[in-house]
Amino acid sequence: MISSFVRFVALCLVAGNVVAAKVSLTPDNWGLPAGEECVNCHSKSSSGLTAQWKGSAHAEAGVNCLDCHQASTEDADAITHEGHVIATVVSPKDCGRCHTREEKEQRGSVHAEAVAVIKERMPAMVTNLAGPAIEAAGCAQCHGSVVKLLGNGKLDPNTWPNSGIGRVNPDGSRGSCSSCHGRHEFSKAQAREPQACVRCHSGPDSPDKEVYEASKHGMAFATHRDKMNLNAETWVAGKDYSAAPTCATCHMGAAGKLPSTHDVGMRNAWNLNTPVSERQHLIVFEDGGKRELPASMDAPRRGHKVPKMDGSMGKVKMVATPERRRQAMTMVCRECHGKDFANAFMDQFDGVVDLYNNKFAVPARSIMQALYAEQKLTPTPFDEPIEFTYWELWHDEGARARHGASMMSPNHAWWEGIYVVSRNFYSRFLPQVREVAGDSADALIEKHVTSRDPHRWMSKPNASSPILGVGSRQVGDD
Amino acid sequence: MTKRLLSWLPDFITRHVLIALVLGGMAGIGFMVFLIEFDHYTSSEAFCTTCHSMTLAAEPYRESVHYLPTSGVRASCGDCHVSPGVFAATWDHFIGGKDLFRQLFGANYDDPVVNALHLPEAAFSAREWFRKRDSATCRRCHVQDAIIGKRADTRAIHQEDAAGKTCVDCHINLVHQPVPEKATFKRDAWNRMVEEQFDLAPGTAEAILAEE
Repeated sequence: MISSFVRFVALCLVAGNVVAAKVSLTPDNWGLPAGEECVNCHSKSSSGLTAQWKGSAHAEAGVNCLDCHQASTEDADAITHEGHVIATVVSPKDCGRCHTREEKEQRGSVHAEAVAVIKERMPAMVTNLAGPAIEAAGCAQCHGSVVKLLGNGKLDPNTWPNSGIGRVNPDGSRGSCSSCHGRHEFSKAQAREPQACVRCHSGPDSPDKEVYEASKHGMAFATHRDKMNLNAETWVAGKDYSAAPTCATCHMGAAGKLPSTHDVGMRNAWNLNTPVSERQHLIVFEDGGKRELPASMDAPRRGHKVPKMDGSMGKVKMVATPERRRQAMTMVCRECHGKDFANAFMDQFDGVVDLYNNKFAVPARSIMQALYAEQKLTPTPFDEPIEFTYWELWHDEGARARHGASMMSPNHAWWEGIYVVSRNFYSRFLPQVREVAGDSADALIEKHVTSRDPHRWMSKPNASSPILGVGSRQVGDD
Repeated sequence: MTKRLLSWLPDFITRHVLIALVLGGMAGIGFMVFLIEFDHYTSSEAFCTTCHSMTLAAEPYRESVHYLPTSGVRASCGDCHVSPGVFAATWDHFIGGKDLFRQLFGANYDDPVVNALHLPEAAFSAREWFRKRDSATCRRCHVQDAIIGKRADTRAIHQEDAAGKTCVDCHINLVHQPVPEKATFKRDAWNRMVEEQFDLAPGTAEAILAEE
């Protein structure tokens, strides 16, 4: 009892401790008189934008253009605009002047660090497979650009416009609130809608839109959208709405005693978008920064120094273990489901991740490492067909399977997921291994694949296959 | 004894005085015509670009809407940079003589890199010049009351929101290479941009400026 209370307090420390985030400042902190000039002119020059703002909670509270776009002349991206010093880019630091709790929570989150997450992939993706144009229009639109200022005061068009979630802003802050809270209305309802996440969480590698829509949760949402209370001031699952959960409900929302959080990855026990999934500790640093460390490593203790994502050293404030993170997620489930139901579902999900890891991901990774070590493959990424096969194995179908299982889409877990992993592992990956490995292929495949239990069926070439219309099931067949 | 010309003329208008007046008047007219022609010629693109450094300023100008408007109304150098009125124009040319002095005895503005490094200060002083004159040279062609525009509320913006402002408060960087306003200008960022543009090693810009 005491330990669960301590755990709960710890979760609150990660997430802050109020249910609905309210700006605690008084209105004399905003409403710059000169901002009225912006509104007057922009009502004419860009009436759509101004109309959106006029319908916003910002307008209602008296927060005007200049409150968010104000800048000091020494700011890297400061420009003069019709007599006022402003900045085009509004960063989390700007929003955080009033929305302090949300800014602090999102700092160091998997969203805010989305540029760092793909940093190592970028040379191969952008230089080898595509070109800079796709970095601007593709990668950076979800992950965020590193916004560059030109000496002439203009924003580099290769890096702006951009509302990628991990945008590296001219003021050094990372993130883009407008990624989910579309400017200039900043509607609560919009951010609570599953649609808020679809721009990036869809497609072959993270088909969360498709997974959600195919799940019972998505089915309930589509049917009962009118009962979702999406515009409510507070939005606590089980209290303000109970018709269905959206993305925001489980990954960010308040539920029962569980506070809401803008650290979207906080409740995730696994990392599902890596070649091999590992359960992850969440390390929270004294300065509010965060990072994950695999659970196979001992969790660092409070006060210890640990390298942060940017390479600098940070002092550990607290560690949320994967178990704690799972407990937080399960607290959301518990608003609608029983404990055993929720835990058993988590077991089914974990089972698919373990299956993917053990049967396909670990052997494939070991074989690739061996091929590089034996110089059967050049280190240059994507100059050999097997590199595409391996990449897609974990990045596309592998991620799809794990996401499908995590959010209850049977089709994505199996037909779009593990089935494709399996097909490509056996019918593309292994034949390509034989091609490139030459003499050492048999030993390599024997060591990592056929000698292992999940693959022993391959050693029985005479098993009948009625499923393919050849032979019939024999007594004694496995 | 001096011969009187016309009986109604005052006594002191002698023939010599009259000749002096006529000659002086003609010289005066000649001088004015000279000034007008001088201002006219020295305001032309052909004259300005006789200095190599000015051809660098002319490059972006020749791609701008002020050079190639659909209407065919082309603004030449002097239309924007020399005040209306013969005396003001002459004064501007006199003051502008400092540019010639600098061209001859100052930094090597003919070098595109040196030119680009000094461009911001030139832009700041040009903007200051426009502001002091309430954008008088813009108003030669652009009559604020007559601005209608192609978009819905352009006219209303120029009637209501432009009150108390002058043209260049909102409209800068229309013709020449864009330069930030002085208030937000970052010399370091500008130098890096020039180095990138001309493929120079970082720090070259500072070295060039320090040499002068």
